[in-house]
Amino acid sequence: MKKYLQVFKISFQQEFAYRVNFIMWRVRNVLQIFLIFFLWDTVFADPERIVFGYDRAKILTYVFGLIVMRSVVLSTRSIDMPGEIARGDITNLMLKPINYFKYWFTRDLSSKALNLAFAAVEGVFLYFILKPQIYFQNNIYYLSLFILSLAGAIILYFLLVFLFSTPPFWIPHFAWGFMFLLFVFTDLLGGGVFPLDIFPQSLQNLVYLTPFPYLLFIPVEIYLGKFGMTLSLKFLAVSFLWILVLAFINKKIWSLGFKAYRAEGR
Amino acid sequence: MDEGVEKVIKVEQLVKNFEVTEKKAGFLGSISAVFSPKKKIIRALRDISFDVNKGELIGFIGPNGAGKTTTLKILSGLLYPSGGFIQVLRFDPWQRSPNFLKQIGLVMGQKNQLWWDLPAIETLELNRAIYEIPKRDFEENLNELLELLEVKKLLNIQVRRLSLGQRMRLELVAALIHKPRVLFLDEPTIGLDVLGQQKIRDFIFDYNKKYAATIMLTSHNMDDLIDLAKRVIVIDKGQILFDGELKELVNEFAKEKIIRVYLSKESDFKKLDTIGTVLRFNYPQATISVPREVSAVAAAELLQNFSVADLTIEEEPIEEIIRRVFRGEMINKIQNLKNEKISASL
Repeated sequence: MKKYLQVFKISFQQEFAYRVNFIMWRVRNVLQIFLIFFLWDTVFADPERIVFGYDRAKILTYVFGLIVMRSVVLSTRSIDMPGEIARGDITNLMLKPINYFKYWFTRDLSSKALNLAFAAVEGVFLYFILKPQIYFQNNIYYLSLFILSLAGAIILYFLLVFLFSTPPFWIPHFAWGFMFLLFVFTDLLGGGVFPLDIFPQSLQNLVYLTPFPYLLFIPVEIYLGKFGMTLSLKFLAVSFLWILVLAFINKKIWSLGFKAYRAEGR
Repeated sequence: MDEGVEKVIKVEQLVKNFEVTEKKAGFLGSISAVFSPKKKIIRALRDISFDVNKGELIGFIGPNGAGKTTTLKILSGLLYPSGGFIQVLRFDPWQRSPNFLKQIGLVMGQKNQLWWDLPAIETLELNRAIYEIPKRDFEENLNELLELLEVKKLLNIQVRRLSLGQRMRLELVAALIHKPRVLFLDEPTIGLDVLGQQKIRDFIFDYNKKYAATIMLTSHNMDDLIDLAKRVIVIDKGQILFDGELKELVNEFAKEKIIRVYLSKESDFKKLDTIGTVLRFNYPQATISVPREVSAVAAAELLQNFSVADLTIEEEPIEEIIRRVFRGEMINKIQNLKNEKISASL
């Protein structure tokens, strides 16, 4: 356990070494929030208006929920993995008595801790600038289900990044392509741009079969209490099922990947 | 071989193949590679066998692409072998079990593990945690390594600000902080100046002696091999061509002797040509290379026909022999010899 504490510490320090990078990434996040906020603010200019079951307060809560979800779920360090594999830098870790998954998960947690701290500050800042009406959930059951779904989302995204990192084992010159695909899926099918219940029901049902809505959309909706208890529990079960499936697939693919690994590069 | 000696590395009939996709040059070549990729198998190692005893320091020689680095990578568990049997410290390297990894180290001259943006001490602290080194041992090892490699003052400087030589020495500290019993060194002195090379060489020598560590070293630097390795393995095109003492390699392949002669009177340079191959002529000194068997005759001839002030007969320098091995010139020779040996033993 101590080794991972040390990994957490050094990773934290590393983030600070790239201050400008980190700050730009936070700025990008804030700008994205502005964009989405003003889009929906315009749509809901009339306070009486209800679209797709969202009133002004709920849609704005959704948007602010995204700030938190993005910084907790989507901020990762493990996106460096495809590059590491392609360049052959993964060699350094393979030579050491340390668990590869746990190493990167720890680094992700350290990145999330840092991002969450910044997101909290940004959240307060944006709240006072935009003065949105926010919906505060006070039902303890929904809150606990939300916490569980958030934990699930973190693990799920980690497993997805891990899976989408493997192609360079076989095609080292194609390190980033699949990762971009993952980003697009996450935003589009995960609810990063708009709430998914805008889609027609049949399409929604299809999307719910993929792991993506469990990353952003469903945890926020659980918080808002839109699903009711039974459906929330059902979604929670599906997301944990996906975790099992992806963990299994990762294990298989990574062991094949290591076999194909060429330890090339300088 | 002695039963009492502990065999640290066992390699039997090791084979490693790589599959590569060939791409023709140019834009059209790139397109055709997408639609009809041409796969080609590269046989990096074909049937390699050798043993290494505890405490040995072995030099691994061969031209570029001979399979040296591939062998080291397989021995340290990075590459999956295509065939054969490998054991290091009684472990199968591929399993990469923590107990195995705690006892080995691989240093590649072109790879770094130090965190680029942080001072080296941070990486060392991380390694202390990863290898679970007790604090006291860690401090002891660290002090010793820092002193031997003379890098104490560099510990708290961002790695990116260090020179290559300084960084390389700190890389060694990071790779050895867990005191590996088996050490693989791939071009450890690459890119360093003469002084830096010497420091690293002295250190490797001491480390081998002090801890009876088993070390395998590949290098393009002749001095590394001459200074350090008693036993060498010559490898080319994935096959072992020679495995034995460096001295033996020299004896077997030094077919020439070098006569160094100081003339007391200026005489015809052309006439020297009749004795042997004139390597250098700069009056009054001449350096002539002659076949081993006739060196005595050649010397007599020189004394008779020239006014000689001084004359020495020397062995061909080891560097020259190894350089020829690198150039691949020896390879046919060694191959023939091997065939002779085989046919003799049949």
